[in-house]
Amino acid sequence: MRSDRAPLGLRIAAFAGLAFLHLPILLIFVYAFTTEDKSYQWPPPGFTTHWLGVTWNRPDVWEALSLSLRVAAISTCIALILGTLAAAAVSRAAFWGREAVTLLVILPIALPGIITGIALRSAFNLGEIPFSTLTIVLGHATFCIVVVYNNTVARFRRISGSMLEASADLGANGFQTFAHVVLPNIATALLAGGMLAFALSFDEVIVTTFTAGQQATLPIWMLEELVRPRQRPVTNVVAMVVVIVTALPILAAYYLTRGGTDTAGSGK
Amino acid sequence: MPLATPLAVEFDNVTRHFGPAGAPVRAVDGVSVGITEGCFFAMLGPSGSGKTTCLRLISGFERPTSGHIRIFGQNSEAIPPNRRPVNTVFQDYALFPHLTVRDNVAYGPRMAGVDRRTRHAAAEEMLALVKLSGYGDRKPAALSGGQRQRVALARALVNRPRVLLLDEPLGALDLKLREAMQEELKSLQQSLGITFVFVTHDQGEALSMADRVAVFNDGKIVQEGTPQDIYERPRTRFVADFVGSANVLSPELSARAGGPARWTSLRGEAVALTAPGAGRITGTVRSLRYMGAVTRVTVATPGGDLTATVPAALPLPAQGATVGLHWPADALHEMEGGA
Repeated sequence: MRSDRAPLGLRIAAFAGLAFLHLPILLIFVYAFTTEDKSYQWPPPGFTTHWLGVTWNRPDVWEALSLSLRVAAISTCIALILGTLAAAAVSRAAFWGREAVTLLVILPIALPGIITGIALRSAFNLGEIPFSTLTIVLGHATFCIVVVYNNTVARFRRISGSMLEASADLGANGFQTFAHVVLPNIATALLAGGMLAFALSFDEVIVTTFTAGQQATLPIWMLEELVRPRQRPVTNVVAMVVVIVTALPILAAYYLTRGGTDTAGSGK
Repeated sequence: MPLATPLAVEFDNVTRHFGPAGAPVRAVDGVSVGITEGCFFAMLGPSGSGKTTCLRLISGFERPTSGHIRIFGQNSEAIPPNRRPVNTVFQDYALFPHLTVRDNVAYGPRMAGVDRRTRHAAAEEMLALVKLSGYGDRKPAALSGGQRQRVALARALVNRPRVLLLDEPLGALDLKLREAMQEELKSLQQSLGITFVFVTHDQGEALSMADRVAVFNDGKIVQEGTPQDIYERPRTRFVADFVGSANVLSPELSARAGGPARWTSLRGEAVALTAPGAGRITGTVRSLRYMGAVTRVTVATPGGDLTATVPAALPLPAQGATVGLHWPADALHEMEGGA
């Protein structure tokens, strides 16, 4: 009989790797409660929940948080609509240049963010578009669309063509077919893609630095705070919130798509 | 075609081309045929012969390049698939995986705006008709192939279509299940009295189930008639070959055996084995194929191979033996075409 337990050495190595990846995050949590606010001293001289209150009363934190949430929400909505349409076109229709479109849709996430950022900044300058929430949203939408597209395109491919024909054959018009056949079969992919897009947008830094004007999203605000040696643990409190806010949707997306491999076949 | 019975579906010189206009692929090439109401009509042919395209022209998923399709006398070109009085049983069944069996069957009524209670009652009635009562709450993934096939049938029939289109519906089933479903489909068609248009590449299926059969080749109908017509009087060599029941005799072989100098067909059952020299032609036994009730004896003659179907009660020759072959003069059936 074969043992399904990995050798001890391999297990130690795996745990060490995971610890290396995740312990620094715990460090951030610890520093959020330290009594020392000028430098990151280890071990912390004492623990306090004082900084939670201080953070709560800082208006600049709220501004940055609200901007980040708005940008993420709008980018995700744009991505859901455009990404789904692109996925539907690429997977369902045959048209000239389909391969090129497939590549072009995925390109923004393959390109370094700095290239996307510089390109967009030059384009906004040329078009004399003032930097605002809108320009940040446009920058984020470029990679959010890819995330939604990638999630839904696989699902679209699994909807057999005869299923859509069957729906029409049974008297459904195009909207009814979309509502009763297509949407239920891509719903979890949309949810997962949307959550990933939201999380990506929420902690994006590089593209944002090029497309934002005077405004600061939460990650940008954090970068600025790190430079100033004043009320440092406030940054850690915010970082803790960011970790929680981004981790939850990604976890949810993981669980939602995990069981999605056996949906929407042709039924054979 | 008896003109007294109304036509359910009429093809009027219908052509359907695919691909570029310069070098089109003629999937359907000048098909004219009438399907009478209440008829079990089989479209028989090898894959790529245009039979499935003809079915899709009736359901509306394809539009004719030229010609007209009339459904109950009405020109159908302007009617989209969802407004035609026809329903389809798809080859892969195309059940909706996210809906229960009951909701799958109730899909058509739901699209028509029928309230939940009425449509669920109608669905249960149809499930009972296809012997799937009690399966309503299951998902299609939890059914066997034969059961899915019945759900697809119930889902189409619940809409009370005037014409039911079946696209090789039995192709994915094993032999025993297929034979059972053939009988059920036939009795279902007779009890419901609606027109069935059935696409198949299985000649046995077409001949045993249909009232009328159209044999397709290269986008054209090469012969249309009753199963007896097709089986006993194939019009061309293609039909004789495809239906597979008959020997095809070249003009030389036919003349040598005392028949007309034309392409002729000769059914294996009509051929009897005799002593060498006593029959119309003599040859050596090439092979014996035991089929249960009969044995197919293939005899190599100077003009080509001929197969005799010998009933189990009669003695069989040995392989390599020299035998004579005899048949009644009227068993030889003349066919069209020289090539």
